[in-house]
Amino acid sequence: MIRPLRSPPPEPVSSEDDAIQTEELSDAVLRVLLPRLRRFALRLTCDPASADDLVQATLERALTRWHSRRPQGSVRAWLFTILYRQFLDSQRRSRRYARLLEWFAGADSAAPSAERQALARSSLDTFERLPEAQRTLLWLVSVEGLSYKAVADLFDIPPGTVMSRLSRARRALRGLNEGQAGVAHLRILK
Amino acid sequence: MNQRPIDDLARNAFVDGQLDAAQRQAMEAYLQAHPEQAQELAAWQRDAQQLRQAAGQDSLPPNPALDPAAIRARLRARTRRRLAMAGSLAAALAVGGVAGWGAHDSALAYRVLPMQDAVQAYRLFASDHAPQPDVRADAGNLQSWLDDYFAHAQRLPDLSASGFKPVAARLLATDQGPAAIVIYENAGQRASFYIRPPGPDKQMLAQGSRRDGRLLARYWSGQGYNYALVGAGDGIADAPLPAPAQAPS
Repeated sequence: MIRPLRSPPPEPVSSEDDAIQTEELSDAVLRVLLPRLRRFALRLTCDPASADDLVQATLERALTRWHSRRPQGSVRAWLFTILYRQFLDSQRRSRRYARLLEWFAGADSAAPSAERQALARSSLDTFERLPEAQRTLLWLVSVEGLSYKAVADLFDIPPGTVMSRLSRARRALRGLNEGQAGVAHLRILK
Repeated sequence: MNQRPIDDLARNAFVDGQLDAAQRQAMEAYLQAHPEQAQELAAWQRDAQQLRQAAGQDSLPPNPALDPAAIRARLRARTRRRLAMAGSLAAALAVGGVAGWGAHDSALAYRVLPMQDAVQAYRLFASDHAPQPDVRADAGNLQSWLDDYFAHAQRLPDLSASGFKPVAARLLATDQGPAAIVIYENAGQRASFYIRPPGPDKQMLAQGSRRDGRLLARYWSGQGYNYALVGAGDGIADAPLPAPAQAPS
């Protein structure tokens, strides 16, 4: 089934938040953006507690760094960038920690938690199977509606690279969705 | 239809609704002629839409710890804790420093703030409520008065280049013996020359200078004494100091 191309509901988040021009990083601005940050953090960590830890670290960093922020760019993209960098840092740390644990215990400490598996079984099953960078890219563009420029800054890559990676990620997701559709189809036929 | 006359930017911008009207029309015209690609982009749009719908179902219970006000309060508390820690660290260092002073070498303390007594003497005697001097320049020669107490010391520095003339002097006492301050004046400003025996262990000073608030203190040693020039601002910054090897007259 092919739906009409134009105006698919729901729209990606409009960029009205990007119009927020603010001298102070006010509580009101942060409260508006907080649900989005938590949702993005949950996508990244696949664990509600870690997600909120990540958001807390992000807000602390944002509040202490606000005054050294370069003035251009949207507040929202800036916060997402801080959150993503914090996430990558924590990933690096936990990988080191996991290696350390393995060294001592020989255990598979990187086994996915029950929560993680439950989340992966949700409606975003196929999406969850994409590599982290592709998931993040698709999420920021499709769900959060961040500009290509902001995404390029966030990943610290040239804008052209964003476009080719985006195409690749969309093709990969398509491939997974088609594969799943095929599996479901076969099951029905049985 | 393997060729790709439209680039990734156009394809993605089309899917994300980022094209302006003219670009979108051109794109739709192109896709009409290329149904395979039209199908692919339509599928991309469906995937994005599915993702947005699923995202809308993501909901996390409210977490009061994440409220910006709570975060700010925690940051403030952390800053206070760090200040307190820095304070106790400084106190520990001070205690250690005092203990180390007693245990090790009292001259270390002079090295930290050389000729602090000269600065304090300046503050006392260059103020408007200065104690009476022992001798005034109009009542006698300050150099010969000084020589009575510090016979082999260096000569009084010549500050006439910056307009300073010695006007008064007073004898002071330190743990190691007599010291003296000589007040210089120019139009409206005061500077002071300070002479004292070296501290415990005969600690001599390398020539140097330091600032203490708005005061500049320059210090040096020679002929068995420590000396300091103290003045407000930069009035004495370039004054020539007596040559170290100068013989007493």
